[in-house]
Order: sequence, then C-alpha cells, then structure tokens
Amino acid sequence: MSGHTSYRTYWITWGVLLVLTLSMLFVEATPFTRILAVLFLVAAMMVKAFLIGGWFMHLRFEKPALVIPIVFGTLLTVAFLFFLIAIDGAAMLRMAEP
Amino acid sequence: MEVPTTDVASAEAGWEGGVSPFGVSWQKLMMWIFLVSDALLFAGFLAAYGFERLASPMWPEQSEVFPMGVIALMTFVLITSSATMATAVGAAHRADLRKATRYVLLTALGGLVFLLFQVNEWTGLIREGASLSSNPWGPPTFSSFFFMITGFHGTHVLIGVIILLLVALRVGAGRTAGSGVELAGLYWHFVDLVWVFIFTCFYLI
Repeated sequence: MSGHTSYRTYWITWGVLLVLTLSMLFVEATPFTRILAVLFLVAAMMVKAFLIGGWFMHLRFEKPALVIPIVFGTLLTVAFLFFLIAIDGAAMLRMAEP
Repeated sequence: MEVPTTDVASAEAGWEGGVSPFGVSWQKLMMWIFLVSDALLFAGFLAAYGFERLASPMWPEQSEVFPMGVIALMTFVLITSSATMATAVGAAHRADLRKATRYVLLTALGGLVFLLFQVNEWTGLIREGASLSSNPWGPPTFSSFFFMITGFHGTHVLIGVIILLLVALRVGAGRTAGSGVELAGLYWHFVDLVWVFIFTCFYLI
C-alpha cells in the first residue's frame, strides 16, 4: 500500500455498501419489471465489488501494472465464461421445450 | 559457496531484475495471484449455476426458500467485518498495534457470527428435506448448488477466521508488522467480495 486511507473513508465506504445492499433487497422485494430489476442488481453488485477492491483492498493505490491484470484480466475471463455458458444454457432450454 | 552480498540483497528484495515491476512485495503479489485463481474458481461455480438455471424450465423462488432477513443480516455482518479489517490494516500501517489487534479480533468475531448464521441456515434447510441430491422445492441441482457454493464460501470464512486469530496473536506479540495484517486483510476482503457475488447471483436474481 503506497498511501494511507483515513479511518473515516473506510466507514463511509461501509455506509455506501450498506445502502447499496438495502436498495438491492428493496428492488428484489418490489414487483419491478424483471429485466430492470436484474440490471439494477448486477450494476449494484459491480459497484460494490469496485468499492471493496478499490477502497478496502487498496487497489486504487497500486501500480497499473498490477491493477490492470487483476481487474481487467479477471473481469474479461469471467465475462467470457459467463456469456459462453449462458448462451449454451439458453439453447438447452429451447431444445427441451416441446 | 559464499553468496555475493549483492545477490543476497536482490534475493531479499525478491526480484532479480532490479526495480519491482508491480511495486509490491513478493508476498503480496503471491497473495493476489492466489486470490485471482480463487476468484476464477468461484466464477466457475457461479457460471455452472447460471447455466443450470437457464437450462431448467422451472426454478424455485429464492425468497420462498431462504430466510431473506437472515441473509441480509449475514451480508451486514460480513460488510461490517470488512470495514473493521480495513481499519485494522490502517492501524497496523500507522504502527498502532493495539488498535490493529483489537480490530483484527473484531473482524474474526464477525466471521464467527456469519458462520453461526450459516450453520443455522443449513440446518433449517436440511430439516426441511434439502440434501446434495434432492430437495422439496424443485430441481435437485438447486440444493446441490446451494450447498456447494455456500459451503465453499463458508470454508473460506472459517479459514479466514483461523488466519485472523493467528494474526491477532502475532500482532499482539509484536511478531507481525503491518504487511502481515495487510495480507490477512486482502484475504478477508476477498471473502467479502465473493459474498457480494453469491448474495446477488444466488439469493436475489
């Protein structure tokens, strides 16, 4: 870690994470359009992940040489994995339909 | 054979080529490599779960199976423990070892509370008839994915609690510097990070 984050910043991050979690629970319990609810939940999940990675794990203080492979390398691999499998899963469901 | 002094110095620094390209110690770099590989393992679990959900004609409504209030409380405990861990790392870097020990112990307590909630959740579902191969709510894979994913995450929490207790002992005895607390902190935040994905993908979507 090349910089010191104030204790206050950690607890502000905690507060934002908490608000995001509560809003996710609210959206899940409210009868929104399914696609809108899923989009909101995924967006909130990603914001929470970036807050934890950047502020709690101090990635925002690290060199780009470390951050880029960790963040973008992992995200790209995971996104690739999910989309390939999702397409396959949806195709199997269509095949199973009468 | 006697090792030349310059070689010893470069070996201690951890890099043979001069300046560290990543600007972190080798311990921290190794921890990141471990965390990325572990993240891909969890991603594999969640991707397999996503596949199963998309390929299944019906899937149980999570809010009818899981006690969402308890899940929300578990999430609150884990997020709070991440904040206490970050405070412990900050205190260790400021050489405030008493505060660091106190917050590491608070974090371990948070982990234990989370595990107790999880044991309660598991026993409740097992009593209702859920197992690795069947459940009363829908496809058998629903409960097998539940036990696999939350069990794997819970094991990480348990290991994290043990690591934190060891770190607290070492910090209390003055045998671990700030970097030791930071490494434990990275692992603990990762456990929290994984829960963010499990909470959203498994319990909410």
